Amino acid sequence: MKREVAAEIVDSLKEAGVDFVASLTEANLHDLVMALGEDPAIHHVPVTREEEGIGICAGAYLGGKKPAMVMMNAGFLLSANALATVCIHPGIPVLMLIGHSGGVGEENAGHATVGALTEPVLQAMHIVYEKVGRFEDIRPTVRDSQMLARSSRRPTAIVLNKQALR
Amino acid sequence: MKRYDCLKAIAPHFGEELVVTNIGAVRHEWQALRPHPGNYHLQNLGLTSSMALGLALALPHRKVVAFDGDGSLLLNLGSLATIANQHPRNLIHIVFDNECYESSRGAPTATAGQADLAAIARGAGLANVMTAKTLAEFAEAFLRALKSNDLYFILVKVEAGAGDVPAAALDSQENKYLFVRYIEKSENLKILTATLSRASEPHAK
Repeated sequence: MKREVAAEIVDSLKEAGVDFVASLTEANLHDLVMALGEDPAIHHVPVTREEEGIGICAGAYLGGKKPAMVMMNAGFLLSANALATVCIHPGIPVLMLIGHSGGVGEENAGHATVGALTEPVLQAMHIVYEKVGRFEDIRPTVRDSQMLARSSRRPTAIVLNKQALR
Repeated sequence: MKRYDCLKAIAPHFGEELVVTNIGAVRHEWQALRPHPGNYHLQNLGLTSSMALGLALALPHRKVVAFDGDGSLLLNLGSLATIANQHPRNLIHIVFDNECYESSRGAPTATAGQADLAAIARGAGLANVMTAKTLAEFAEAFLRALKSNDLYFILVKVEAGAGDVPAAALDSQENKYLFVRYIEKSENLKILTATLSRASEPHAK
């Protein structure tokens, strides 16, 4: 991810009211995760496993924070049970920014299966998501996805494709 | 010593502390002993410590107590490293270790074998780690943690067996709303968004 894209995401999150982010890094997310760690307006919690981050975000929401989770799609698949039991069942929102590996433009053969499973699992869980690649789409999508998460009290997702991650 | 005996010993010391309970019998036991809107009963095995961490970070001036279990924490050992690094001074992480998956008919957990959750907690970087094997040890450890302004991890070795209490009459959605409304009121926060009726807006000319 280019530094200006990372900066645009962080700024969009803050503009949308997000003040708490849990993350698990990956090469494509490195600049975003580092930028989150440096921003004094965001409480950044690096986690050891993505479902842990879902639990932390849910707890932060109950305490009045506006949380988001940054992870790759492999971590989203790992978090399916956490999202179902901790967020969807009681009605707790979390905005997810999901780096999409294994989609069009993927050069790593090992990521293709996870890539192919990501959208069907989001759909099966009835999680509303938007796919974003173009720079100019980042800000309005973050704002609107956060709006829906808060009003519906459900998780929402922004799937960042190769164009955004490169 | 059973978990219910431990909860009974500490319940009188609770005021406005926030509590996150693990899935299983502990929620019913705690709800019977301390019915309070500041109890959040998680319907997930594993994320009790993480949920309590998020809550403790969001409200650093409120004491947060997690009632975790060995089976649950073993699913989420990485949370100990995250808690140690975040170091919320208002969190008390209590793990009732009965060495079995009690609510799943009692097969042994890893702590019935070689694993020691207190040693794992120390290795994760937690400083105030205590193991209680008697009721007196547990009560003393809990009161020390409650009065302090620091992060504590208390491992309590208990026998399996649930207290004779009624099932907590509290749905997850209901629990969430009661908890959030209580936080909104006690912290003067607005968490749940509300939409104004269009009828209240002035008509466009």
